[in-house]
Parts: sequence; C-alpha cells; structure tokens
Amino acid sequence: MNPRTRRALEFVLDNLVWFMLLFVLVVFSIFVPNYFQLGIFANIIEASSVLGVMSIGLALVIIAGHMDLSVESVAALSAMAVGILFCSSGIGLGVQLHPEWLMVPVSLVLALAVGGLIGAFNGYLVVRVKMSAFIITLASYIWVRGLVLVISGGRSAQDLAPAIRWFGIQRLIGLPLTAWIAIGCFVVFSLIMAKTPFGRHLVMIGGNETATFRAGIRVNRNLIIAFVLAGAIAGLAGWLLAIRTSGATANLGVGLLFNAFAAVVIGGVSLKGGVGTLPGVYAGVLLLSAINTAINLMGLPANFTQVIHGLLVLAAVLLDAFKQTIRQRLA
Amino acid sequence: MKRILLAVFGILALAFATLTPAFAQSKGTVYYMVPTLLDEFQTGSVSALELFLKQVGYEMKTLNADNKTDAQQSQMNDVIALKPTAIILAAVDFNALKPSIEAARAAGIPVIEFDRQITSTPSDFTSVAGTIEIGYVAADQAEKLLKAKNGAVKGKVLQVLGDPGDPYTLDIQKGFEDKMKAFPDVKIISLPAMQWEASNAGTIVADQMLANPDIDLIFSHAAHLSVAAVASLEAAGKKPGDVMLMSSNGAPVGLDLIRKGWLNVEVEQPLYAQAAAVAMFMDKVAKKQDIKPGEYDVLGLKSTVTKETWGPNIKIPGAAITKENVDNPAFWGNQKPPTDTVKPVE
Repeated sequence: MNPRTRRALEFVLDNLVWFMLLFVLVVFSIFVPNYFQLGIFANIIEASSVLGVMSIGLALVIIAGHMDLSVESVAALSAMAVGILFCSSGIGLGVQLHPEWLMVPVSLVLALAVGGLIGAFNGYLVVRVKMSAFIITLASYIWVRGLVLVISGGRSAQDLAPAIRWFGIQRLIGLPLTAWIAIGCFVVFSLIMAKTPFGRHLVMIGGNETATFRAGIRVNRNLIIAFVLAGAIAGLAGWLLAIRTSGATANLGVGLLFNAFAAVVIGGVSLKGGVGTLPGVYAGVLLLSAINTAINLMGLPANFTQVIHGLLVLAAVLLDAFKQTIRQRLA
Repeated sequence: MKRILLAVFGILALAFATLTPAFAQSKGTVYYMVPTLLDEFQTGSVSALELFLKQVGYEMKTLNADNKTDAQQSQMNDVIALKPTAIILAAVDFNALKPSIEAARAAGIPVIEFDRQITSTPSDFTSVAGTIEIGYVAADQAEKLLKAKNGAVKGKVLQVLGDPGDPYTLDIQKGFEDKMKAFPDVKIISLPAMQWEASNAGTIVADQMLANPDIDLIFSHAAHLSVAAVASLEAAGKKPGDVMLMSSNGAPVGLDLIRKGWLNVEVEQPLYAQAAAVAMFMDKVAKKQDIKPGEYDVLGLKSTVTKETWGPNIKIPGAAITKENVDNPAFWGNQKPPTDTVKPVE
C-alpha cells in the first residue's frame, strides 16, 4: 500500500463517524419528505445542543478511564434550581435582578456551581476514598434526581425570565444561541483535550493510570478536575435545558444519560478509557439527532428510536473492532 | 429508682396519648399507590386524597412506584402484608396490577382504583374521569376550534402523546382519534414524547412546524408538554394565536398558558372531585357495604355511580377550560382546594 492510500485510509478511519453522519443526512434528504431544508438542519443542531454539552462532560470522564452516570440528574437539578429562582409561573419565585441581563450570568453561575459541587463530591469519593466510579455516580444519579423531586415537590417552574430565555429565541446565522453555546463548548474542549497538558494527561490516565502516575503526572488532581468539569458541564446542559423548555419539570432530561452514552460510544470513545476525541462525540450527537428528526418527520412510532439507537451503538462497537483490525494490518 | 422509672414511663405514655388524638380517632390507615411523583397531577392527587381522607377520619400513607410496574407490584405485596384498611391504586399499568388487586382482595383488603380504570378484574370502588372520555372531550373541542378557524371541521392536528408505553396516553389517543374519525378532512399526526419529557415534545413541535407549516392545532396529552411546545413556537417566531393549542390534565402551567393566550383549551381531569369521591365512599368501602348506583353531588359536580362488571364505578365529568372559565377555583390547576368538608355517604 502506498503512503497516500494509507493516509487516506487512516483519515477515513479516524473520522468514520463524520462519514456516517454525512451518509445518513444524504439518505434522509433523498427519502424522507421535507427533510432536506435548512430549517430542519438547524433543528438537528439545536435539538442536539443539550445532549451535546452533556456528552462532553461524560466523554472527559470516560476518556480518563472512569464513568459518570450522574450527568442527567445533575442537569435536571441545575435546570430546576434555575427554574425555581428565575421562572415566574408554577413554583418559580420570579426573582428579578436589575439590570435584567444580570440574571444571565447569575443563573449560569448557579447552574455551573450546582453541577460542579456534585462533580466534586463524586470526584472526591472516587479518587480520594477509592470507591468505584460506577457505583458512586449511580448513587448520585438516583439521589440527585430525588433531590429534584424534593425541591420541586413534583411541580414545575415555568415562564423563564425573558433575559435568559433570549438565548433560546435569538438566532445567529439561522441557529439559536443555545446551539452556538454547544458548538463553542465543543470547540473549546476539543482544543483543551488536544492542545493542553491537562487534556493529554487525561488520555494518558485513561490509557494506563499506573504508568501515568509513575511518569510523575498528578493523576488524582487531574481526575478530580475531570469529575468537577463533568458536573459543571452537566450543569451548563441543565441551564440550556431550562432555556429550551422555558422552565423545568421534575422529569426534565429523563433518558438523556443513555443517549449521551450512545453518542459518546458512537463518537469513537472507548469505554475502557484512553481513546476518543470530542469532535467525534459531536458527530455522534448530531447523528442521533438526525435520526430522531427523521423519525419525527416520518411519523414512525417513537419506539423505533430506541431500536435504532441500540443498533447504532452496536454498529459503532463493531466498527471500532473493525477499525482496530484494519489498523493492525496497516501497522 | 424503679419508682422514678415507672413515673417517667407513665408521664411519657400519658403525653403520647394526649399528643396523638388523631391516631386515637383514626378509622384506620389507607395506602395510596401513586404511579409517579414526576407529574403535577400525581403530586396534586397525593395532597388532595390526604386532605379529604383526613376529613372523613382516615390516615393516608403514600408509596411512589416511579412509573415502574414491577416496583408497584412489589409495593402492593408489601402493603398487603401490613393489612391496611384499604388500598387506593393508581396503576402504572392497567393490566399488570390485576394479580396484585386480586391478592389484596383475597386477603380481605378493599382496593379502590383512582384515576386509572381497571376493568379486567373487580375492585371495591373506582373513581375516574375516564381517560378515553378525556379524548372525547378533546375531540369535541378540536371540532369547535377547527370549525371556527377554517369554517368547517378540516385541517391538520399534531397530537403530542406522552410515553408510548403508558396506557393513560394511549387511552386518550384512542378516545380522541375514535371521535375524530367522523371528520375525514382532519389529518392527525401523532407522535410520542418519550418518557413524558418536555424537551422531547419541544423537538417534535419544532420539526413538525417545518415539515407541516400548515398545522392548525397542537394537542398535547399533558400541560407541561404544551409549555415546551410553546417554547418551540416562540423560538420559531410565532405569537399567541398563530397556532391553536390544546392539552389535557388541567395542570397549573396549562392554566397559565390559557391566561397568556397561547393555549385555547385545557381538558381538565377533575382531580379534587375524583379524590373527594374516594373519601365520600371510603366508609362504605372499608366496611364492605353496598354502594348504591345513582347520581351523587361531588364538590358540586353531578357524578354518576354505576355497577359495572369491575365493581362500583363513579365517573366524574372532565371540563373544558377556556379563557372564559379559567379562573374558576374548582379547577385543581388554580390550586385552591375546596373549603367545604367532605361528608361520608350514608
């Protein structure tokens, strides 16, 4: 095999999920009525914003060789905290700040703080107390959702302050600002993972924690930061979720965790740790969103979504094994 | 020393007896098996049943099944072992709880069905608005709205269901679509919002408004789904009145949307009346006395008790809430529980 062919093949293997996305978009555009229009593509990007942001945090922890099952509930708690404070209907307290734009940073900081705190709690127990990340974050998944129920009493907060809701309505080049925030997050964190020592260390930790520790890298500190980031990013996802639905209900975000996992796996992140990039994760998120949109437009029973998601995850894992085989042959 | 200890115990026992007159007067403990608490109607049902049952002398304890059928079956088994005065069941799954109901009744514990009618096995009492009937009322309202807008009953309706695994939403869909069959010029697009999650409903509405910009009416099976639908319409640059909206259950957020001009109709489930009916007949159920068919006044609503194959059944009519009557305190969405005390049926 000549070097050019080899490079081309490696490029395709590295970006397989993007090619899958392109293929799916072309097929749907041809066969699904009303699919091929800018508005629908904008909807795909917008609908993927919450899931996308949540997947970033999850991917960071998985790349570092751990697990965070609490991101869905953390997003719901952040959304509810923002909703209770800044919504004017339902259980919303209708807190007003002057000038009005002040509500944006305050609500955002609140959401990030809620998420960051839970992330720190998870990180401390996993890293310092040496408990299983799976169990700890599973417990957080349960108790944090319970906390949402406790603080809301099962009721909803609606009618988010216009200053915050503005991000869901205002458009830039046809996309709501919430979608731009998600895109911005992917760009920033992709750069962090690719270009900073922290990002590279996370990949190394996920690949071989002991070897990384012996190389003099502060494994524990980096892992705790990863958990805090995952929590804070989930908090940001909750903030976006509250904006998107103009409030918060007690079951907000239910089911997002498994979609986030699906997106991360489809995006090429190995659940064993040490492998994966965030652009791939974003492609995975867009792929799921594109399929959901097609199902909506075709009027198929929603149960199809779950079947397709499951098959996609399976396909991604099989493709990953196939990629490894090809890479071994190329080596 | 012994005397001192005896005196202390005596004082404590006396204090306990005087501080808990409610327990002394209680007619017994009733367990309410609520399907979920992630829903304003269900949360409201807990408060309403607690309030009305207390008025007729019963203490209520609630167990939440978190929308899991198996969890509710386990809870039923646990509660049967506790031998309560009665069990009030709002089933997660209308059919899967049949063996549990039979087991409870075989153990001599009366079972009351609340809000979700189970017809596959007898119960001691059923208090419902009727999920299929909610669909009928919604269809009547859709007929009026489409006629007023298009001059005839024609157009496009987007029906946003709840979770496709929930019989509650499937019943409303059945009632709605059965009645709408009379109008072949109405095209109904039905899509489920998985797990009743609001942002899923928002996505459906955003996509459908692009694929079918001529949608006349959006009918969501819960008010909180309408909130997300409104958020999507708002993001698409729509104003109140551009697209007609309707939802069911009568939650506070739905009433707010009516006041803001977004929502045209909210089909109410008469939560207070449904709960009051349970309290009114609780003595008869607990004593296993006969419940006579006929008309009863439940919080001012004319309600009918019939003898069905599944036992005595009270059906309380659900109302259509519009801009004209939205402030009526009788609607549970206005969160003003009735001040009148419920009286047991003699």
